[in-house]
Amino acid sequence: MDVTDVTDAGAVVARARQGDSEAFQTLVERHSRRAFQLAYRMTGNEQDAEDVVQEAFIRAYRQLNRFEARAHFSTWLHRIVANCSVDLIRSRRSRYDHASTDDLAPTEQPETGDANPERLAASAQIEQKVASAMSELSPLERAAFTLRHYEGRSIAEIGKTLGLGTSATKHSVFRAVRKLRAALEPLRGES
Amino acid sequence: MSKHYSEEDLILYYYEERPRRAEVERHLDSCAQCAAAYRDLASTLKMIATPEAPERDEQYGLEVWQRIRHQLPEQEMPWWSAWFRADRLALAGAFAVLVVAARVAGRWWSAGTVVAPPVASLGTAKPSAADDAGNANALNQAGRDRILLSSVAEHLDRSDRVLTDIMNARAGGDLSAEKRWAEDLVATNRLYRQDATDAGEHSVALLLDELERSLLAIVHTPSRATAARLDEIRRRIDAASLLFKVRVLGNELRQRESVPDNRTPRALAAQRS
Repeated sequence: MDVTDVTDAGAVVARARQGDSEAFQTLVERHSRRAFQLAYRMTGNEQDAEDVVQEAFIRAYRQLNRFEARAHFSTWLHRIVANCSVDLIRSRRSRYDHASTDDLAPTEQPETGDANPERLAASAQIEQKVASAMSELSPLERAAFTLRHYEGRSIAEIGKTLGLGTSATKHSVFRAVRKLRAALEPLRGES
Repeated sequence: MSKHYSEEDLILYYYEERPRRAEVERHLDSCAQCAAAYRDLASTLKMIATPEAPERDEQYGLEVWQRIRHQLPEQEMPWWSAWFRADRLALAGAFAVLVVAARVAGRWWSAGTVVAPPVASLGTAKPSAADDAGNANALNQAGRDRILLSSVAEHLDRSDRVLTDIMNARAGGDLSAEKRWAEDLVATNRLYRQDATDAGEHSVALLLDELERSLLAIVHTPSRATAARLDEIRRRIDAASLLFKVRVLGNELRQRESVPDNRTPRALAAQRS
């Protein structure tokens, strides 16, 4: 992103803060895809990710006044999406307990002529196991692990995003890793 | 270092979050137990691949906007901004103008020059030239409303055909034609939705809004859609009872179009005035 983009983004956000709905529409159009990717990784479910994206933009619109002009809108929105995901996982916890094992299951494996069927099957099994283990994590463990492992965010950034101290953030990641290791242990010999 | 590293240390090392990495590296080179523990941890974490999010194309942002734009709440404002709200400033300005105008009028107004007609006489007064012009405008307006009704009814027919095609499409079949068709309809739909809103036809505008979302979903579907994707679109159409509503509204609009006393809200308002 060059300086022009940043300036332009700043102007768009400023107009949106003044209630200009077209400016907010521009922000929605620019950031939706990235927001969806994050929401999907956080929730592990396409429909939930759609709900999170909508909720995040509605929340962002309501709180535009809290956005600091010198910050990046994408960073601010990232934080909102992450927290909306945690809220949604909390509120649908019972559903996750029973259903989300299938959510991240590979529904459509790419068909490649030279793929080894055994390898594909093993990979699908691992994905299923990971999805199942992820659904057993607490919302904060899941969020912290997703942000660290999938999104490559630092512990400090994750703490800031989730409103946790450094120690609490680290321990959320540790607990998540421990649970995932335990869940994947039986597959280690096969992979 | 004589003691071994804990699992937590090794997790932080794996994620490059641990300070003094060189020290850990040296220890791992020399301590078989810690090296084995790290290999074990790393191999497990490497098994956890980042899940691929389902693809969303360039139009996705617009689709999200369509879904949320009617739900946008009031923005939170800082407490002091309440005093500077545009409507309050406008009200204060209008009040000031009124005060000045009243003072000027008080000086120059000569009493008894204007007598307002009694309200009851409005209904029985003979039509003047101005009334004739008003009636002509009302008729023109009614004509325009009739054209709008007819165009929207045709638009609904075309949308009905695309939706029906999608409901009956088979997975993996070529949907390029339906996608192009839906894309054209989206553009037209936006215009009609705006016209319907302007004409006070809120139920029509609402249905066109629902229709637009489904049309956009079709536009964003790959030309060779999977069974899952087709099911998703069909569920969306079914959930909103869209096909049924499109047909009912299409029929209703055609009936209204054929009735001489065109009962659109705007036509009725024009006739009342």
